[in-house]
Amino acid sequence: MDLSLDTRHEDGHTIIEVGGEIDVYTAPRLRDKITELVGEGNYHLVIDMEKVDFLDSTGLGVLVGGLKKVRAHNGSMRLICNQERLLKIFRITGLAKVFAIHGSQADALAEH
Amino acid sequence: MPSGSAARTSTGVTVSIARDPALVRTVRLVAAAVARRTGRDEEFVEEVRLAVGEACALLVGEVGLDGPVRGTDPVTVAIRIDGELAVDVTSTAPIDVEDPPHSDIDGVEPWALLRGLIDDFTVVQDGVRTKVSMCWPAA
Repeated sequence: MDLSLDTRHEDGHTIIEVGGEIDVYTAPRLRDKITELVGEGNYHLVIDMEKVDFLDSTGLGVLVGGLKKVRAHNGSMRLICNQERLLKIFRITGLAKVFAIHGSQADALAEH
Repeated sequence: MPSGSAARTSTGVTVSIARDPALVRTVRLVAAAVARRTGRDEEFVEEVRLAVGEACALLVGEVGLDGPVRGTDPVTVAIRIDGELAVDVTSTAPIDVEDPPHSDIDGVEPWALLRGLIDDFTVVQDGVRTKVSMCWPAA
Protein backbone atom coordinates (compact mmCIF):
# COMPACT_ATOMS: atom_id res chain seq x y z
CA MET A 1 0.00 0.00 0.00
CA ASP A 2 1.40 3.35 -1.00
CA LEU A 3 1.21 6.55 0.99
CA SER A 4 -1.76 8.90 0.62
CA LEU A 5 -1.74 12.49 1.84
CA ASP A 6 -4.91 14.59 1.93
CA THR A 7 -4.75 18.12 3.30
CA ARG A 8 -7.48 20.46 4.47
CA HIS A 9 -7.82 23.47 6.74
CA GLU A 10 -10.16 23.66 9.72
CA ASP A 11 -10.41 25.90 12.78
CA GLY A 12 -7.03 27.47 12.21
CA HIS A 13 -5.31 24.11 11.82
CA THR A 14 -4.02 22.29 8.80
CA ILE A 15 -5.03 18.66 8.88
CA ILE A 16 -2.99 16.09 6.97
CA GLU A 17 -4.85 12.80 6.65
CA VAL A 18 -2.21 10.16 6.10
CA GLY A 19 -3.04 6.73 4.75
CA GLY A 20 -0.99 3.66 3.94
CA GLU A 21 2.58 2.98 4.98
CA ILE A 22 5.05 5.53 6.32
CA ASP A 23 8.39 3.84 5.82
CA VAL A 24 11.89 4.38 4.53
CA TYR A 25 10.53 4.68 0.99
CA THR A 26 7.45 6.85 1.50
CA ALA A 27 8.43 9.00 4.49
CA PRO A 28 10.25 11.59 2.33
CA ARG A 29 6.88 12.44 0.71
CA LEU A 30 5.39 13.20 4.12
CA ARG A 31 8.46 15.26 5.01
CA ASP A 32 8.12 17.22 1.77
CA LYS A 33 4.43 17.85 2.44
CA ILE A 34 5.13 19.15 5.95
CA THR A 35 7.98 21.30 4.66
CA GLU A 36 5.71 22.69 1.96
CA LEU A 37 2.91 23.51 4.41
CA VAL A 38 5.22 25.15 6.90
CA GLY A 39 6.83 27.10 4.07
CA GLU A 40 3.38 28.42 3.17
CA GLY A 41 2.88 29.66 6.72
CA ASN A 42 0.84 26.76 8.16
CA TYR A 43 2.31 26.39 11.63
CA HIS A 44 -0.46 24.46 13.40
CA LEU A 45 -0.55 20.97 11.98
CA VAL A 46 -2.71 17.97 12.83
CA ILE A 47 -1.47 14.66 11.47
CA ASP A 48 -4.35 12.19 11.26
CA MET A 49 -2.82 8.70 11.31
CA GLU A 50 -6.02 6.68 11.59
CA LYS A 51 -5.52 5.18 8.13
CA VAL A 52 -1.82 4.50 8.57
CA ASP A 53 -1.02 0.82 8.18
CA PHE A 54 2.69 0.89 8.99
CA LEU A 55 5.18 3.25 10.64
CA ASP A 56 8.93 2.82 11.01
CA SER A 57 11.69 4.95 12.54
CA THR A 58 12.16 6.90 9.32
CA GLY A 59 8.53 7.99 9.62
CA LEU A 60 9.05 8.85 13.26
CA GLY A 61 12.04 10.95 12.26
CA VAL A 62 9.94 12.86 9.77
CA LEU A 63 7.31 13.56 12.44
CA VAL A 64 9.96 14.76 14.89
CA GLY A 65 11.46 16.93 12.17
CA GLY A 66 8.04 18.38 11.47
CA LEU A 67 7.47 19.12 15.14
CA LYS A 68 10.74 21.02 15.27
CA LYS A 69 9.80 22.98 12.16
CA VAL A 70 6.46 24.19 13.52
CA ARG A 71 7.87 24.90 16.98
CA ALA A 72 10.45 27.15 15.36
CA HIS A 73 7.47 29.30 14.38
CA ASN A 74 5.72 28.93 17.74
CA GLY A 75 3.39 26.46 16.09
CA SER A 76 2.10 23.05 17.08
CA MET A 77 1.80 19.53 15.77
CA ARG A 78 -0.86 17.18 17.08
CA LEU A 79 -1.25 13.56 16.13
CA ILE A 80 -4.45 11.57 15.83
CA CYS A 81 -3.92 7.91 16.47
CA ASN A 82 -6.07 5.18 18.02
CA GLN A 83 -4.21 2.17 16.73
CA GLU A 84 -2.47 0.27 19.49
CA ARG A 85 0.23 -1.07 17.16
CA LEU A 86 1.22 2.51 16.29
CA LEU A 87 0.86 3.81 19.84
CA LYS A 88 3.23 1.03 20.93
CA ILE A 89 5.87 2.39 18.57
CA PHE A 90 5.55 5.86 20.08
CA ARG A 91 5.83 4.41 23.59
CA ILE A 92 8.87 2.24 22.78
CA THR A 93 10.79 5.17 21.35
CA GLY A 94 9.76 7.57 24.12
CA LEU A 95 7.94 9.78 21.64
CA ALA A 96 4.56 9.30 23.30
CA LYS A 97 5.77 11.96 25.74
CA VAL A 98 6.95 14.25 22.98
CA PHE A 99 3.84 14.38 20.83
CA ALA A 100 0.31 15.38 21.76
CA ILE A 101 -1.58 12.27 20.64
CA HIS A 102 -5.36 12.46 20.39
CA GLY A 103 -8.06 9.92 19.75
CA SER A 104 -10.05 11.92 17.22
CA GLN A 105 -9.95 15.02 15.08
CA ALA A 106 -12.54 16.61 17.36
CA ASP A 107 -10.28 16.10 20.38
CA ALA A 108 -7.23 17.35 18.53
CA LEU A 109 -8.98 20.49 17.35
CA ALA A 110 -10.65 21.12 20.70
CA GLU A 111 -7.38 21.40 22.63
CA HIS A 112 -5.88 24.84 22.82
CA MET B 1 -3.59 -27.81 10.51
CA PRO B 2 -3.38 -27.75 14.31
CA SER B 3 -2.25 -24.47 15.77
CA GLY B 4 1.54 -24.31 16.07
CA SER B 5 2.25 -27.44 14.06
CA ALA B 6 4.00 -25.43 11.33
CA ALA B 7 6.56 -24.26 13.88
CA ARG B 8 7.81 -27.82 14.27
CA THR B 9 8.79 -27.96 10.62
CA SER B 10 12.14 -26.52 9.68
CA THR B 11 11.62 -24.05 6.89
CA GLY B 12 12.85 -20.70 5.73
CA VAL B 13 13.21 -18.05 3.08
CA THR B 14 16.20 -15.98 2.03
CA VAL B 15 15.59 -12.75 0.15
CA SER B 16 18.25 -10.55 -1.36
CA ILE B 17 17.25 -7.04 -2.40
CA ALA B 18 19.02 -4.14 -4.04
CA ARG B 19 19.67 -1.19 -1.77
CA ASP B 20 16.38 0.33 -2.85
CA PRO B 21 13.97 1.60 -0.16
CA ALA B 22 11.02 0.68 -2.38
CA LEU B 23 11.87 -2.99 -1.89
CA VAL B 24 11.80 -2.97 1.90
CA ARG B 25 8.04 -3.43 1.81
CA THR B 26 8.52 -6.66 -0.13
CA VAL B 27 10.74 -7.97 2.63
CA ARG B 28 8.12 -7.04 5.24
CA LEU B 29 5.49 -8.99 3.34
CA VAL B 30 7.75 -12.04 3.14
CA ALA B 31 8.61 -11.79 6.84
CA ALA B 32 4.94 -11.62 7.78
CA ALA B 33 4.15 -14.63 5.61
CA VAL B 34 6.87 -16.72 7.23
CA ALA B 35 5.89 -15.53 10.72
CA ARG B 36 2.34 -16.79 10.10
CA ARG B 37 3.79 -20.26 9.54
CA THR B 38 4.61 -20.37 13.24
CA GLY B 39 0.91 -20.50 14.04
CA ARG B 40 1.26 -17.59 16.45
CA ASP B 41 -1.26 -14.72 16.56
CA GLU B 42 -1.41 -11.63 14.36
CA GLU B 43 0.12 -9.44 17.06
CA PHE B 44 3.25 -11.57 16.78
CA VAL B 45 3.15 -11.42 12.99
CA GLU B 46 2.91 -7.62 13.18
CA GLU B 47 5.89 -7.46 15.55
CA VAL B 48 8.01 -9.54 13.17
CA ARG B 49 6.88 -7.44 10.19
CA LEU B 50 7.82 -4.25 12.00
CA ALA B 51 11.16 -5.52 13.30
CA VAL B 52 12.32 -7.04 10.02
CA GLY B 53 11.20 -3.97 8.10
CA GLU B 54 13.00 -1.72 10.55
CA ALA B 55 16.25 -3.68 10.39
CA CYS B 56 16.08 -3.84 6.63
CA ALA B 57 15.34 -0.12 6.36
CA LEU B 58 18.30 0.73 8.56
CA LEU B 59 20.65 -1.31 6.37
CA VAL B 60 19.17 -0.13 3.10
CA GLY B 61 19.13 3.56 4.05
CA GLU B 62 16.93 6.28 2.70
CA VAL B 63 17.17 7.23 -0.93
CA GLY B 64 18.77 10.55 -1.68
CA LEU B 65 20.42 10.93 1.70
CA ASP B 66 24.04 10.84 2.65
CA GLY B 67 23.08 8.80 5.66
CA PRO B 68 25.08 6.15 7.44
CA VAL B 69 24.51 3.54 4.76
CA ARG B 70 25.74 3.82 1.24
CA GLY B 71 26.84 1.29 -1.28
CA THR B 72 25.57 -0.89 -4.05
CA ASP B 73 25.75 -4.38 -2.61
CA PRO B 74 22.42 -6.04 -1.85
CA VAL B 75 20.90 -6.51 1.56
CA THR B 76 20.17 -10.13 2.38
CA VAL B 77 17.39 -11.21 4.72
CA ALA B 78 17.37 -14.83 5.89
CA ILE B 79 14.27 -15.96 7.80
CA ARG B 80 14.19 -19.44 9.33
CA ILE B 81 11.81 -21.41 11.46
CA ASP B 82 13.52 -24.22 13.30
CA GLY B 83 12.12 -24.39 16.78
CA GLU B 84 12.37 -20.61 16.82
CA LEU B 85 11.91 -17.82 14.31
CA ALA B 86 15.34 -16.44 13.50
CA VAL B 87 16.06 -13.54 11.15
CA ASP B 88 19.44 -12.34 9.93
CA VAL B 89 19.65 -9.11 7.94
CA THR B 90 23.08 -8.70 6.38
CA SER B 91 24.72 -5.87 4.50
CA THR B 92 28.26 -5.34 3.29
CA ALA B 93 27.89 -1.60 3.57
CA PRO B 94 29.28 0.09 6.68
CA ILE B 95 26.64 1.40 9.05
CA ASP B 96 26.62 3.26 12.33
CA VAL B 97 25.37 0.87 14.99
CA GLU B 98 25.60 3.10 18.02
CA ASP B 99 22.78 5.61 17.58
CA PRO B 100 24.07 8.95 16.42
CA PRO B 101 21.10 10.67 14.84
CA HIS B 102 21.89 11.21 11.19
CA SER B 103 20.61 13.91 8.92
CA ASP B 104 17.01 12.76 8.69
CA ILE B 105 16.20 10.75 11.79
CA ASP B 106 16.63 13.88 13.79
CA GLY B 107 15.89 13.24 17.44
CA VAL B 108 15.00 9.57 16.93
CA GLU B 109 17.61 7.00 17.77
CA PRO B 110 17.65 4.73 14.74
CA TRP B 111 18.13 1.53 16.73
CA ALA B 112 15.82 2.42 19.61
CA LEU B 113 12.76 0.86 18.02
CA LEU B 114 14.46 -2.47 17.41
CA ARG B 115 15.92 -2.54 20.90
CA GLY B 116 12.49 -1.86 22.32
CA LEU B 117 10.76 -4.45 20.19
CA ILE B 118 13.00 -7.46 20.65
CA ASP B 119 14.77 -8.98 23.60
CA ASP B 120 16.92 -11.26 21.47
CA PHE B 121 18.59 -8.79 19.16
CA THR B 122 22.25 -8.36 18.20
CA VAL B 123 24.24 -6.29 15.74
CA VAL B 124 27.62 -7.66 14.67
CA GLN B 125 30.18 -5.92 12.50
CA ASP B 126 33.24 -7.83 11.38
CA GLY B 127 34.84 -5.13 9.29
CA VAL B 128 33.38 -6.46 6.07
CA ARG B 129 29.68 -6.68 6.80
CA THR B 130 26.98 -5.75 9.27
CA LYS B 131 24.59 -8.44 10.47
CA VAL B 132 21.45 -7.76 12.48
CA SER B 133 20.16 -10.93 14.11
CA MET B 134 16.74 -11.29 15.72
CA CYS B 135 15.05 -14.26 17.29
CA TRP B 136 11.62 -15.13 18.68
CA PRO B 137 10.12 -18.27 20.16
CA ALA B 138 8.18 -20.00 17.39
CA ALA B 139 5.36 -21.23 19.53
